[in-house]
Amino acid sequence: MTGITAIAIHLPRLRLQRASMAAAMDWLCPRSDTRGARTLAFWDEDPVTMGVAAARTCLAAAPQARAAVRALAFATTTPVFAEPQQASLMHAALRLPEQTLAQDTGGTLRCGLLALQQALEGANPALVIAADMPSNTPGSLAEFRYSDGAAAALVGGGPVLLDYRGGASLSAPFIERYRDPGHALATDWEERWVREAGVLELVPRAIAEALGRAGLSPADIHHVVLPCVIPGAAKAVAQAAGLGGARLAPPLDTECGDTGSAHALVMLARAMEDMRPGERVVVAQFGQGATALVLEATSAIADFAPLASVALSAGIAETNYLKLPVFRGLMPWERGLRGRLPVNEALTTAYRNSEALLGFVGGRSRETGQVQFPPSRLAVAETGLFAEPQEPWPLADLGGTVATATADRLAFSRSPPNCYGLVDIPGGARLMMDFTDPDAARLAPGDAARFVFRIKDKDERTGYRRYFWKAVAASALPATA
Amino acid sequence: MAKGIKDKVAILAMGCSRFGERWDVGQEELMAEAYLEALGHAGIAPGQIEAAWYSSHYDDIGAGKAGTPMAQALRLPAIGVTRVENFCAGGTEAFRGAVYAVASGAVDIALAVGVEKLKDTGFAGLPPASRGTFAPMYLPTHTNPGNFAQLARAYGTRHAVSAGDLKRAMGHTSMKSHANAVKNGNAHLRKAITIEQAVNAPMVAEPLGLFDCCPVSDGAACAIVTTPEIARSLGKAPVLVKAIQLVASNGWEVQSSGWNGSYVHTARIAARRAYAEAGIADPRTALSFAELHDCFSITELVTLEDIGLADEGTAWKRMLDGAFDIDGAMPCQVDGGLKCFGHPVGASGLRMLYECWLQLSGQAGERQLASPSLALTHNLGGAPAQNVCSITIVGAA
Repeated sequence: MTGITAIAIHLPRLRLQRASMAAAMDWLCPRSDTRGARTLAFWDEDPVTMGVAAARTCLAAAPQARAAVRALAFATTTPVFAEPQQASLMHAALRLPEQTLAQDTGGTLRCGLLALQQALEGANPALVIAADMPSNTPGSLAEFRYSDGAAAALVGGGPVLLDYRGGASLSAPFIERYRDPGHALATDWEERWVREAGVLELVPRAIAEALGRAGLSPADIHHVVLPCVIPGAAKAVAQAAGLGGARLAPPLDTECGDTGSAHALVMLARAMEDMRPGERVVVAQFGQGATALVLEATSAIADFAPLASVALSAGIAETNYLKLPVFRGLMPWERGLRGRLPVNEALTTAYRNSEALLGFVGGRSRETGQVQFPPSRLAVAETGLFAEPQEPWPLADLGGTVATATADRLAFSRSPPNCYGLVDIPGGARLMMDFTDPDAARLAPGDAARFVFRIKDKDERTGYRRYFWKAVAASALPATA
Repeated sequence: MAKGIKDKVAILAMGCSRFGERWDVGQEELMAEAYLEALGHAGIAPGQIEAAWYSSHYDDIGAGKAGTPMAQALRLPAIGVTRVENFCAGGTEAFRGAVYAVASGAVDIALAVGVEKLKDTGFAGLPPASRGTFAPMYLPTHTNPGNFAQLARAYGTRHAVSAGDLKRAMGHTSMKSHANAVKNGNAHLRKAITIEQAVNAPMVAEPLGLFDCCPVSDGAACAIVTTPEIARSLGKAPVLVKAIQLVASNGWEVQSSGWNGSYVHTARIAARRAYAEAGIADPRTALSFAELHDCFSITELVTLEDIGLADEGTAWKRMLDGAFDIDGAMPCQVDGGLKCFGHPVGASGLRMLYECWLQLSGQAGERQLASPSLALTHNLGGAPAQNVCSITIVGAA
């Protein structure tokens, strides 16, 4: 039996209020419906970091799966790099086995669901990660509706939450939205055409095909997950597919917005909280064709923790619309001299230390038991020489305690003040770390911290960005992330 | 067992440029300003200098790497010039090189010069320093105010000093240095301030406000050292080197959780060794005054305890009581300190020794202390968690 053994989502904490977006841009682009909020990635979050966060929650729910993973698919329409492959960075951050087939996929908002279908129909235990920061013109309806977020699912045999019954993907050159690699912003075509000639034509056909392959009829389906930003389109599709009697999963538009390639999985994770053993769900999405998957809940669903709901409700209301264009790099701003320094990455150094930097793996002295970061040839000690080779010591999931803290207004930051300090890590280790999160300045000595994988620095000239781990107040994280 | 440096080397003469925003001159002129003053005091010809040490921190601004920028600026007579860099302890490091050279007997007269030209960078505050290829990949983008703000918070927590009391004690620390600098014609900032001004200044890194931070200055300072015998033969009453100790963090504080962040580990070790080298049993009675590395007001307070001039947890209170004012039990920063004389990084250690030399040889003019006999200088380069700390003790013969 192959299916989904774990699933998790990650949403940035900032929830940009649509009323605030309208207040800033309404004079130019009037909007009538300003309900709710959309997520906004903090300056140091991107699809890679959000994907890693979702995957860490997933792996925490199924710890035995880490060593078994043999395939990693990362789906996004907003890749951070054209080169290098991002899945390899995430693979290192998640400390997955070297024998893992890792690949990036993208091109359509449906790519997350495509990757999931491929994993469910493949032979290997797989981790599927979808993360997106759909890039839209300031003031556009798309900017209102789409948002930033990630989801991850572990796929394999064994004790699954959802058993895979069957699925289908259809392809069509239906281009409703496009963006050249050199363009930051997407262009959308008229919505009525997309709904009538695209979504309502293709998605019901994919659902019918999937049901046929599963040997099921519409009456056998209890839940429908249909991400689509066009109001009413999901309901119309369900009816056209004969699924009017099934429960239509909420689009989460007021809670977080549509997270693009991640949204099918985000909505599924939320919908699974409402599923009972034996119930079946159709997950379908549109985009240069359509994909529909049919899954059936096992008895394990009864113990499925409602972490998606927790993440959905763990936001901080953000009322400053300008943070979106500034964080996205869409608007020049006065950085000061300290913000103009280039990131001169020594790729040799980065690779030599990749286990430490991406995986946050320290060292432990076999002689003294002292844990340290970074690992070194000679172990840290107040006095004495300890030269035995150290054993690798993963730190990412240990968390720590803030020893010293500062909120620095002189240092450059994309969201000042720049907060950092010494963090003590179990095993006697200590590290000067960046603190991140919109509330980072509140972190004080003695506070419990957890570690998150984030953008360390960005080079505006080349687009290069480096990643490392930062400390976040444990109280600011809804779940293992 | 090594016998130490005590009484083996004499300061023949010193010089110091005016510190400040020296838009009028470059690094070469600053060095020349300090050197010509020292040469004048020493009464020797340049050809008598046999070796030189040169301290500057930033090699990518100002004069550049190696010994040649100084050899050229001062037109030195074809001698060895060694460039040293040890963060804010660089000036003392240059002095140590020159002193050790004389003590070894390899040369009779040696020169130490420290210089920094910071105001050619466009930065307010110190420019970011290069940190190699690996460290920037994991260390935060930090600044010195941010690093020392952590010390302030940890000190307050460790000794249960309220934020208000600590802020006032830090304010007194700066107020005292401003008052002292009014009488120093070479100082960068020569304006008296009140504690209230310091306490209410804009925040840089909580709890450090603008007046808790020393300025960024251009400047140079210079020492000519020789043997006590040669100094006497030149008709000088020499100021003798009693101790020089320098300790570099080995990573224990920043990489392991043994250190509580409220003091400076290296300073305690350096002070202990320096007192032993100088044969000082009780620094509070033996020393006449001290020039401490007051890069931030909190650094001065914590250092007073680390080097034994105040009991642990009491420096803030004694500062408020005036113990470290010019007329207090242990005058500190009688020339204004880093806070007001200024802080051209590579020159600061030598600038402190310049004040010691002036005071101990009775040349300090308006701010001359009554018959001082023994003085201490202290430098702290880097951050509280990872630094180079130096202590030098000099005394009248």
